[in-house]
Amino acid sequence: MTVTSLQRPFIVVSLLPRLLNTNGDAGNARVLAQRIRWSGHDAQVVDVHSRADLPEHVDAVSIGSGTDAALLPARDALRTLVEELRVWSNSGVPILAVGTGWELLSWGIDLADGSVLEGLGLVAGQAVPRATRATDDIIVASKYGRLIGFENHARDYVGAEASPLGRVVYGSGNGDRASGPRIEGLTMGEVFCTHLHGPVLARNPGLADHLLRAAFSRHGLEYSRGARAGSVDATALAARNQVAVRLGQSAE
Amino acid sequence: MLARWRKPGGGSAIPGVVVNRIAPGFLATTLNGFPLGLVIVTGSSGKSTTTKMLVAVLRAHGLSVFTNQSTANISQGLTSALLERVGLSGQIAGDVAVLEMDEGHGALIAESLTPRVVALTNVMVDQIDRFHDSEMVAVLLAKIAARATETVVLNADDRYLADLGSSLDATVRVARYGVTAEVLGQYPRGLGYADTAASRLSAGTGLQLTRAVGRDADVQFPTGGHSIRLPARGIHYAVDAVTALSTAQATLGERFDPTIACTALSAMPAVFGRGEVVTVGGKTIEFVLVQNPSSFQLNVDSLEAGTEQILVIIGSDVRDPSYFWPVDTSGLSHVLIASGLKAHDIALQLAYDNVAVDRVEPDVPTALDAFLALPDPASGVKTIIFSADGMRRTRAHLGLVSNAEES
Repeated sequence: MTVTSLQRPFIVVSLLPRLLNTNGDAGNARVLAQRIRWSGHDAQVVDVHSRADLPEHVDAVSIGSGTDAALLPARDALRTLVEELRVWSNSGVPILAVGTGWELLSWGIDLADGSVLEGLGLVAGQAVPRATRATDDIIVASKYGRLIGFENHARDYVGAEASPLGRVVYGSGNGDRASGPRIEGLTMGEVFCTHLHGPVLARNPGLADHLLRAAFSRHGLEYSRGARAGSVDATALAARNQVAVRLGQSAE
Repeated sequence: MLARWRKPGGGSAIPGVVVNRIAPGFLATTLNGFPLGLVIVTGSSGKSTTTKMLVAVLRAHGLSVFTNQSTANISQGLTSALLERVGLSGQIAGDVAVLEMDEGHGALIAESLTPRVVALTNVMVDQIDRFHDSEMVAVLLAKIAARATETVVLNADDRYLADLGSSLDATVRVARYGVTAEVLGQYPRGLGYADTAASRLSAGTGLQLTRAVGRDADVQFPTGGHSIRLPARGIHYAVDAVTALSTAQATLGERFDPTIACTALSAMPAVFGRGEVVTVGGKTIEFVLVQNPSSFQLNVDSLEAGTEQILVIIGSDVRDPSYFWPVDTSGLSHVLIASGLKAHDIALQLAYDNVAVDRVEPDVPTALDAFLALPDPASGVKTIIFSADGMRRTRAHLGLVSNAEES
């Protein structure tokens, strides 16, 4: 018998939205939940500030980016959830981590004053200081489509060379490399890490729908994009094309 | 920068450049030399409104006030403006100087200034491009506050400012103001501060905002309560008014009269672009200016229920479309047109917040014409929510007085 629905709402967890939401990246949880609803299923966003907030079921996870002042409290809060994060990432629960949220999942963060903030060690690599803050639009060629967003970070990322999210067409991404193409982001299974902050999933529904297919397939369900999502994605395409054309790229 | 100084109404900054070269100490010496001294208003948000309110209150008390029109021309432009006021005797006419300062500018220029009173409005997470962290903003504000010779007026509901107040030199008086727990309770999302202080002012320890509904607000003074009519709707204007009143009290001392102050505040004309109501071609329109995520959220939350005709214009000044994503726009329910250079981006956000968007029209004049052509709404007034760039384009297209100095 084919399964056609989940007997409960899909649960999208927004991790530490008070500490990690400088650019509205926590909105990515909202984006996933809306797209699930538009596909005809029930969905709910659960804000998790500490272990006490953890829901029984977790179908997708969003971690945003915060200020450097929030790095230590955010790392300490994430540490209390490290076992869950390990279980989710090993069992194919899609996880999106943006900016400092990504850096905290890494081996560690080399801070500008020479000290190192140890990360959770869930994904390979580490964040290292860069000469000047990267603040600009960014365009990435990826297998989830051409991703367009905004980056604003004071650190590069090294150690993601084996499995980047994509290749930088415009912008800084993970930073300069001695050789090879410039890359952006990191993927590990269904864990997606990126510098594209803010509503990366709204602007790039190709990536959002990949995460949703992963979330659905864990339950033997097939995700299909709803009609409402279709018209909203046309708006996202117009927004992306505007940036692409301004930066000398072709419209899609 | 020159282009900015040449905007209509901005005056010429050239004499200022010349004087600053010939007599580099002129600006500081003059500003420090007013009989009632210098008052500086600074903070993340609300300083422009607060400054205008403060000036109105001081003038109502019979003072002659020297003030700046904006923070944009802070050094050279100020010198030019001061020169216009120098009499034949070489003296500047005026009792007191009131300056609005940008936190960045302020920390630089404040080195040479000795303000009698420094007023701090709040620390908000905004202006991401310039000041990445609220901590950094707090440090800049602390530098300005440290220059105060007599009183630092501060918002006790803002955790960063409350902390700053307790670390100031003991020779400086701290005048605290804030809202009551009841007022704060009406805003479950808070008042937009980067961090809200854990507790409210206890009664009698500073000016308190005890009520804010629409354009009406009540303020509790040590001598009793007074009501004021705000120049625009919204809790942030009410807090700005309390900031201005508290600063006026610090500046005037014994001469401060709450009745004169509240009457002067209530008589102020609506602030440009912020809850300003205009009539164009017989149609009434309310303007709502959103400058940062906090003011966007507060404006959405305080919009008249049932407003059925809304135009949103987000322009090129919003460099990063992520900027407004922390805002929950769902309260708008239905937007007729999304416009401006970032029309697609704001339409996308509205869509994910379940707000119906009928039309996306990046060209501002086209959007305005279509919006104005609609018959008057059955409920609420035609409402235009815009960024500063959207406001400029709107005013230009509708032939309204330009307001280049508002920032």
